[in-house]
Amino acid sequence: MTTRRTEYPAGAPGEGAAGAQARPGFLVPGSAVGDGRYRLLAEFGFDERVNAHLWRAQDNQLRRDVGLTLLVGDPADAKAAGAARKMLERTMHAARITHPGTSRVLDVLGPGNGIGPTEGLLGIVVADWSQGTDLVDVIAEHPLPPSTAARLLEPLAAAVELAHHSGMVLGVDHPQRVRVTPDGVLRLSFPGPLPEATLQDDVRGLGAILYLLLTGKWPLRSAPGLPHAPLAADGQVIPPRALFPYIPYELSSAAVRSLTDDATGGIRTSSGLLKVLERARLNEDATQSIAAIADDTEDEVDEDGAVWTTRRPHNDRTKRRKLAIGVTALAVATVGVLAWVGMQLISFFGDDAPSAGGPTVVATAPGNAENNPKPPNPGQPIQAAGVQVFNVKGTPDSPRRANRAVDGDPKTSWKTDKYQQPFPALKPGVGIMAAFAEPVPFAEVVIDSPSAGTVVEIRTAPSEKPGLDETKVIGKATLQAGQNRLQLDRAEPTQHLLIWITTLGDGNVSEITEIGFVRAQ
Amino acid sequence: MDGTATVTKGEPAGGSTPSLAKASGSMAIATLVSRITGFGWKMVMAWLIGINVATDSFTIANTLPNIIFELLLGGVLASIVVPLLVRSQKDDDGGAEYTNRLLTVGMTGLAVGTVLAVAAAPLFTAVYVDDSTGKANPELVTAFAYLLLPEILFYGLFALLSAILQAKQVFGPTAWAPVVNNLVILATLVTYWALPGDISLDPVRMGDPKLLVLGIGTTLGIVVQAVVLLPALRRTGFKFRWTWGIDARLREFGGLALWILGYVAISQVGMVITQRVLTVAAAGGVSIYSNAWLLFQLPYGVIGVSLLTAILPRMSKAAADGDTQRLVDDLSTGSRLSAVMLVPISAVLTIIGAALGVALFGAGEADIEQAQRLGHALAFSAFGLLPYALVMLQLRVFYAMKDARTPTLIMIVMTVVKIPLLYMCGALVRPDQVVVGVLLVNSLTFVVGAVLGQMWLWVRLGNLHSKKIVKVIAVCVLAGGVGGGAAWGLGLLLPEVDSLVTAWVNVVVLGPVACLVAFGVLVALKVPELKPATSRITRLVRRG
Repeated sequence: MTTRRTEYPAGAPGEGAAGAQARPGFLVPGSAVGDGRYRLLAEFGFDERVNAHLWRAQDNQLRRDVGLTLLVGDPADAKAAGAARKMLERTMHAARITHPGTSRVLDVLGPGNGIGPTEGLLGIVVADWSQGTDLVDVIAEHPLPPSTAARLLEPLAAAVELAHHSGMVLGVDHPQRVRVTPDGVLRLSFPGPLPEATLQDDVRGLGAILYLLLTGKWPLRSAPGLPHAPLAADGQVIPPRALFPYIPYELSSAAVRSLTDDATGGIRTSSGLLKVLERARLNEDATQSIAAIADDTEDEVDEDGAVWTTRRPHNDRTKRRKLAIGVTALAVATVGVLAWVGMQLISFFGDDAPSAGGPTVVATAPGNAENNPKPPNPGQPIQAAGVQVFNVKGTPDSPRRANRAVDGDPKTSWKTDKYQQPFPALKPGVGIMAAFAEPVPFAEVVIDSPSAGTVVEIRTAPSEKPGLDETKVIGKATLQAGQNRLQLDRAEPTQHLLIWITTLGDGNVSEITEIGFVRAQ
Repeated sequence: MDGTATVTKGEPAGGSTPSLAKASGSMAIATLVSRITGFGWKMVMAWLIGINVATDSFTIANTLPNIIFELLLGGVLASIVVPLLVRSQKDDDGGAEYTNRLLTVGMTGLAVGTVLAVAAAPLFTAVYVDDSTGKANPELVTAFAYLLLPEILFYGLFALLSAILQAKQVFGPTAWAPVVNNLVILATLVTYWALPGDISLDPVRMGDPKLLVLGIGTTLGIVVQAVVLLPALRRTGFKFRWTWGIDARLREFGGLALWILGYVAISQVGMVITQRVLTVAAAGGVSIYSNAWLLFQLPYGVIGVSLLTAILPRMSKAAADGDTQRLVDDLSTGSRLSAVMLVPISAVLTIIGAALGVALFGAGEADIEQAQRLGHALAFSAFGLLPYALVMLQLRVFYAMKDARTPTLIMIVMTVVKIPLLYMCGALVRPDQVVVGVLLVNSLTFVVGAVLGQMWLWVRLGNLHSKKIVKVIAVCVLAGGVGGGAAWGLGLLLPEVDSLVTAWVNVVVLGPVACLVAFGVLVALKVPELKPATSRITRLVRRG
């Protein structure tokens, strides 16, 4: 979204603000300047006050990128030539300053000294190329939060302060000469103070840049491609705070006071401004409370990796945290829905498959054993040593007649009581506990019953009178009238086997004529 | 559980010593072999004993010592004690005193813990097994637990000894010892099978020879795994002396240890609920769950880990240097590589899951139904492969940033999401299918975890190139969808999976088809992430 003119290898002529300016025909990407030493790559700005073109170029000998300030003019024009010479001289002085806030000046070329007589150039300032983004691009969409602005500007102000200590002018009064480095500081990338520039001009320049960062508008002489700051009735620029109320008073007034010339109340030294910036940053670090501006470039992907983005590093943490919580909540909700859908699907799949309930696989009715991978060998029938009615609640049902279910006589039977309501209204169920002389692995239980619809479970039990929860289900079936063969899970030796009725037959009564036990082989 | 283990164990090895680089190749093979044999004995167990209450009870009882060991020592050992051990090698005595102290105090503590744990075995059973429907067999679990819980002591001994050996730059024995354990268990299973009779389920008798063989044999495996390290330790010239007291250096790490312990504890809460939901639903559920989970982890273990080992040391270094940009780049690369490798595999597993379950487990005593259910569980959870890998990756990033707190908090959220879903599963799904639902829930929780982790890393680190990652994932899902669709279509022509043979036919035909189509689509779409991945695999193949 940001028009990023930053790292185009071969420059796009005519793009962005710089291209709008008239440009001598010989300054095109690919052409060589400085006696062929530097090949121009892309134009980054134009300082119309001294007719200086700002280019990124490649040093053909050392194979590195450099930032060139090309002073264009006719060498015959004595006035222009003199100004250019003055400027080159001042630059040479300022080259002694080494500071992260300013690019190192590598060379200063004049006519006859690195520049051919026919090049149409009055001078070239060669400086280290600083990676990063144009200042103009950074504020192109919206101004920066005050804390970020202060943080960005501080190193530049420190560089100016350093220069001023040695009585030198740095020349930071043009927005296109300043770039934002990948580590997020402003750097004077195209050094070259104007011939008449004073220390005060540097301070004013810093104030103007602060104003620009805070509001996106340029308060000094109109710079290419930037809207001019609105003026109040008295001809002064209106304070940034009047445009954006969230800007702290101190920063807002510092920007305006650096711009004004009057001796009363104006900031006249860079150290004064520097102090304000420092305080603003410390304030921010301490509270983290300055409101963030809406920013949708948050998650913008940098295709080229290491370039500075317009995203602020710090103050949107709270916002991000809120967003993170929101997204998480959304994910949880989605997952909940997905889980429900998935479970429906599972049930659907489950019905599809031949239904067989786990190891409590039971095949009711003879000959329905194809689900079982291992049809049990027909085992030998085994006689129970004794049977009792097993009852956990209320009175036992016909306890004396339990024997009739195992007496081998189909005419006699054991019957439950007749209940008013189906189980488990009165009791959870009722059953017959069979005891055997030794632990036996069972394969089948055969139940003869006229009571269709009766549901029985076959359970193993640890003792003759266990709690129901001590018993283990090994088979379950709904009886049909007649003989029912219940195939049991796997041969698990047990000494006690419970035939447990959980659902009664018609009329809330069940009758069992005969129970046969078959031992597994 | 496995997560914490894999995550933390690599950390001490992160140091860059030349011998490590040399050792890592053979270590990778050892790890692979131990994973395969580990999976092998689970399979053999299903063949010889089946997938039923007995294997369920064994599985639950067999995880207990692991859990307790992790709670007592595991996480802390890997993340704190071992780094200190490495540091102590520079002491005047070559770390002898620190090592002695560690062994004395650590083993004494573990011995006490083991005794208490064995005494509390019924309690553990009550926590992990919900027998309200009579479909589980807590008595059998308890019986196995009595026999298996002594493993704690030997897990501890193994962990301590391998840490000591690693600090002394000896890697081989520790990597191969688990293989020995797996072999012992295999032998145990064969002995069990050869013995006549069955385990009596009701009543459970402690003297039952089959029960004793299985329990004691398994414990013996862990004992052997620890004991085989002793000769290697002796060769390093180390002599053990009783030395009491706690090294002052250990105290620095108090807070970190608590958070890591919290991570383990929280993940256990999820585990407990999972086991309870499974045991109450149907017999065989626990075995199916543990085997499907093993199968699920296999692709991550082979591909994920091998890809990540290349990236992780770089990430730790970037984090140590405070180089956020590089950390983010590596995280993004890791995420995208994982997506490219794992999403197509998810698609394949979704299609051939059921067949794979039968093919691997549908033999011997194991019921085809149960094996198929295992396969369905795998198919329904396969989509969680990438989220799982991402969660593991993010965990690494957090630990690299010395943040043990956020992963624990993420684990809490995941567990909070998981528990109601598990109960919902128990309520909505037919009892015998509950295990399928549980694994589905498991994978969904990893989706939550991955999103959560990504978001919190974003809060911490800023732009994570998430859009790029999402784009790659979308392409991979497309490719996986096409591959899966192709295989599904082809599957209609094949015989239905109803026996071992048809299952293998399905797996052998459909698996490669789905794989080839999916990766083919990725290649056709010119996914840039595929390139390093393929080259790495070709390199691995050549090396192997």
